[in-house]
Amino acid sequence: MTAILETLRSAWRNPRGRAGALLLLIVAIAAVIGPWLLPDPLAQPDILGGSLPPGLGHPFGTDQLSRDVLARVVTGARISLGVALLAVALSVTLGAAVGIVSGYWGGAIDAALMRLVDGALAIPRLFILLLVLAVWERVPVLALILIIGATGWFATSRLVRGEVLRIREEAYVQAAEALGARRRRIIFRHLLPNALGPLLVAATLGVGDVILLEAGLSFLGLGIQPPTPSWGGMILDSREVMVSAPWAGIFPGLAIVITVLSANLFGDALRDAVDPRSA
Amino acid sequence: MSGWLLRRALQAVATFAVAIALLFVLMRAAPADPLFRLSADRPISQKEIAVLRARYGLDQPIGRQLAAFVGGLVRGDLGVSIEHGRPVTALLAERLPATLLLGGSVLLLNFTVGLWLGVRQAVRRGAREDRWLTTLSLTGYAMPSFWLGLVLAWLVGVEWRLLPAAGMQDPLLSSDAGFLSRTGDVLRHLVLPVLTLSVVSIAATMRYQRAAMLEVLRLPYIVTARAKGLPERVVTWRHAWRNALFPIITLFGLWLPILVSGSVFVEAVFAWPGLGSLAAGAVGSRDYPLLMGASLLVAALVVAGGFLTDVAYALLDPRVRIG
Amino acid sequence: MRAVTQWRSRLTIVAALAGWTSVQAGAQSERGTGIVIVTGQQATTPVPTLMEGAANSVGNLDVVDQLFLRLAELGPKLVTSGDRDFAPALARSWTRRDSTTLVFDLDPRARWHDGVPVTARDVVFTFNRAKNPDIAPRLADLLRQITSVTAAGDSRIVFRFARPYGEQLYDATYHVAPIPAHLLDSIPPDSVGRSSFATNPVGNGPYRWVRSVPGQFVELAAVPDFFLGKAKIERVILRTAAEPSARINLLLSGQADAMDVIPPQFVSRVASDTTLRLISVPSSTMGYLLFNQRDPKNRARPHPILADNRVRRAITLALDRNQLVQAVFGSQGMVPYGPVSQLLWIRQRSPRAEGPNTTEARRLLAATGWGDSDGDGTLDREGRPLRLVLSLPNTSGIRRQMALLIQEQLRRVGVQIELQQLEFPIYIERRSAGDFDVDFSAANQDPSPSGLTQSWTCTGGSNVAGYCDRGVDSLMEQAVRGRGDPGERWLEALKQIEEDAAATFLYAPAFMYAVNRRFRSVTISPQSSWLTLRKWSVSPVPVAGRSK
Repeated sequence: MTAILETLRSAWRNPRGRAGALLLLIVAIAAVIGPWLLPDPLAQPDILGGSLPPGLGHPFGTDQLSRDVLARVVTGARISLGVALLAVALSVTLGAAVGIVSGYWGGAIDAALMRLVDGALAIPRLFILLLVLAVWERVPVLALILIIGATGWFATSRLVRGEVLRIREEAYVQAAEALGARRRRIIFRHLLPNALGPLLVAATLGVGDVILLEAGLSFLGLGIQPPTPSWGGMILDSREVMVSAPWAGIFPGLAIVITVLSANLFGDALRDAVDPRSA
Repeated sequence: MSGWLLRRALQAVATFAVAIALLFVLMRAAPADPLFRLSADRPISQKEIAVLRARYGLDQPIGRQLAAFVGGLVRGDLGVSIEHGRPVTALLAERLPATLLLGGSVLLLNFTVGLWLGVRQAVRRGAREDRWLTTLSLTGYAMPSFWLGLVLAWLVGVEWRLLPAAGMQDPLLSSDAGFLSRTGDVLRHLVLPVLTLSVVSIAATMRYQRAAMLEVLRLPYIVTARAKGLPERVVTWRHAWRNALFPIITLFGLWLPILVSGSVFVEAVFAWPGLGSLAAGAVGSRDYPLLMGASLLVAALVVAGGFLTDVAYALLDPRVRIG
Repeated sequence: MRAVTQWRSRLTIVAALAGWTSVQAGAQSERGTGIVIVTGQQATTPVPTLMEGAANSVGNLDVVDQLFLRLAELGPKLVTSGDRDFAPALARSWTRRDSTTLVFDLDPRARWHDGVPVTARDVVFTFNRAKNPDIAPRLADLLRQITSVTAAGDSRIVFRFARPYGEQLYDATYHVAPIPAHLLDSIPPDSVGRSSFATNPVGNGPYRWVRSVPGQFVELAAVPDFFLGKAKIERVILRTAAEPSARINLLLSGQADAMDVIPPQFVSRVASDTTLRLISVPSSTMGYLLFNQRDPKNRARPHPILADNRVRRAITLALDRNQLVQAVFGSQGMVPYGPVSQLLWIRQRSPRAEGPNTTEARRLLAATGWGDSDGDGTLDREGRPLRLVLSLPNTSGIRRQMALLIQEQLRRVGVQIELQQLEFPIYIERRSAGDFDVDFSAANQDPSPSGLTQSWTCTGGSNVAGYCDRGVDSLMEQAVRGRGDPGERWLEALKQIEEDAAATFLYAPAFMYAVNRRFRSVTISPQSSWLTLRKWSVSPVPVAGRSK
């Protein structure tokens, strides 16, 4: 546990990591309390008026259905961050589980699992998602989270497996085994804590990846369905009015960039803390 | 060596087979029927649907569909696209060159600009330039390619009219136009899509190359070279860089999925007639023979890329072959 | 910093190179003699008898219209009934031998693009293929009233019909254009799709096929000795971009000259571009709220709320349809009278749709026993609230927008609407099964009003709401047969449908097209955008003026 805290602390000391963490915090806070303070993102008070440029009443302007863009961006933050966090949690859990089983048990199980991972890694994640979502038409948000999470654990499992293989040879683990310690104890006491560092890095960077992925899917009409605001969906809607009301598409895009950037800054700093050689 | 090669090749084939199985299971296990899309506006008669269903073999049980598919795959027949009414293989073959041109250009930029910047960062590690470039690359990496593409197309193509906003060539170019003007025409159209994809991929390349270079710079023989008094430039580009080439070969294998995925969006936004826009269109029309074919092609490319990467490694470093 | 300056110098070199080559390329393109039209779909098999299923697309239609001439073309008024409103095309003239026989005489000057004259054999061959339900199920169904097509000599064709009815000439000419027998009779029907003819069609129209660059564009060239007059525009490029934003960008950046169906929110931006002219064209779409008159849970029983036509009328009166149409379509919308899009000729004599009357709406609801006994704003009766579910597909932005406004308007008179946005296949499934209260339907109509019998007659194949009025059935039957004045019969049928309040007809929009001002004598045919392209002319000098 202290190792984790130490990692976090040194990531914080890194100025870029600090910036990333702070930005993420701001986005998270905005996502949580923002929707209460801002107008209804679904309201269309003045359709005939059309879209308004950014101004006093609407800091980010309104889109072609006269919906407030700022409100939609902030509500979209909730959805996008929520989906990302849950999907990444699932990916990381699955990856850790498979990695540990594969690395520790070895043998035929390891061979079979890694063959599966290889095969799955051969298909770019986007294509798998395109196929699944294009064919399974109705996908509620929960299913979307499950599907994204279920396609993101392959690389993590390799990572964890590598760690397990390394640690397995360590003296203290061999000693524990010789003493007759139960497998579960070894896993949770020795293997898992050592893998937590890389897992944390993978998780943070994964959040950025999932946000981009979900935005891309929503852009293709496959992700979050309207009228629920999502950043990708907002860019999708703004396609046609990009030339007359560019703010409707620019702000959600900026929101994506800032969030993913801050996740990556923090993740990078974490990685430097876990593995100083790459700093 | 040949034993290793054979084993590695069989591994690649096995991986590809797993990919095929996964794809097929995903697609056929779903309830939706692609022919549904056709009744969007006009009522389609049951008779018409029945005829079309038989034509595409959708009325067969799943087992027989899988057998037919694998049989076709072996013969090189990927079925017929529902939307285009033509063989999937022909469609894929038509559109592949455009994607290769786009991807190739992006790779070229990566190999030059990306590599060079990454090396610079490693050599000047910790300096202001290094930190600044890191932030820049992380920002680039965070941009959704479709958003960047939309903004660029609008700004540069429509508002400023500096470059074409979409397409691969000017259809009105007269048929007796010379090679130079044809090439120039395609180059003009290439700039914005390449720029869009490059921002993201160069960012990734810079980060990887920096890390790889840092590893190499720590090696004893580099330290020795420096101690011998060799100028920094020689140390960097003559000695260290060659060793850092290894991870780049790996990166080549990784670039492929990134480029192919990114191309789906970028080709759609810029109406670039490649595999990506074909796949995006197939998604829209739920044309799953085509989607399946495109995914298979991509998986094949990725597996082949990985295989070639390993071969390149093995040629460069004999130790790998024993492993 | 050295790094940045090096970067900059490299960038400048690249930019200079790009600039130089672009100047080269720009100088070579000849805009004056061609037109670039933006489309959303590329033509895949532009052969009239092959347009089935997914091939029955706008992309194919656009090309087919230029390559293949019909026997006769619909006149500008699009009156499909009777023999009068048609212009000669491939056929120079026609006569009616009796109530079930039409005789066509081909124009002797008509030639296929390979020089071979067009003969009666081509027409007979075409209809043999088109009427075969195994080859062309859609066409065979449309042509079912034609019993035989026979040649009487080289240039005379005799059409026989199953019974007398008003749209015989329409059926004989509109649905399929003749294809060359001499090139296709040796190819078995199911191989035509893969033959070289499908990838390089040979027609007899004002333009001939040059080439298709996959995923990019189709090029056509004017036929020099076209017998009805050579087209003035030498080259036609149909340029494809699947993404709507790419299409708009092509138009606004000057890379394209014409585009169809510009989305409403975009019109003002295009209007501010002085090089483009906006043209309003009647569209074939029509949107309406369909009331289910049967109980969705048990189709044998009437709907507990909507079976009463006073409730249905009340809903219609409670809606300010003009405001709805204005909000979504701007000035391009129109409230239809009856289930009639702007494309159908039968709307020409119909009265205006009625305006809102919330007082009357409230009165009707009260008269049927609906009152607000618990003061919650929603009317109720015998303990059950006046709550209806409005079903719509989540693919239509227009319907989504309007549904929200409708919900609000009806809330004000105490009717609670719950919106149910469904995935498209689910929406279709439920609609076909009659599993809905109110269905937000959108129809895409053909020029022939006979399509209305599908949805508005008691036994119509698409009648999913259980609407049945024998009077309407009889009127439509008479109109289709051509007994009496068809225009009047249709009008009476429409009036009856309106009185029965079978549905609330919401919108019948016009589409906006944009064409570069370089082109003169521009007309757009509502039933098929670029049909009259051969009559356009172009001024070679580019028109002065920039966008914005």
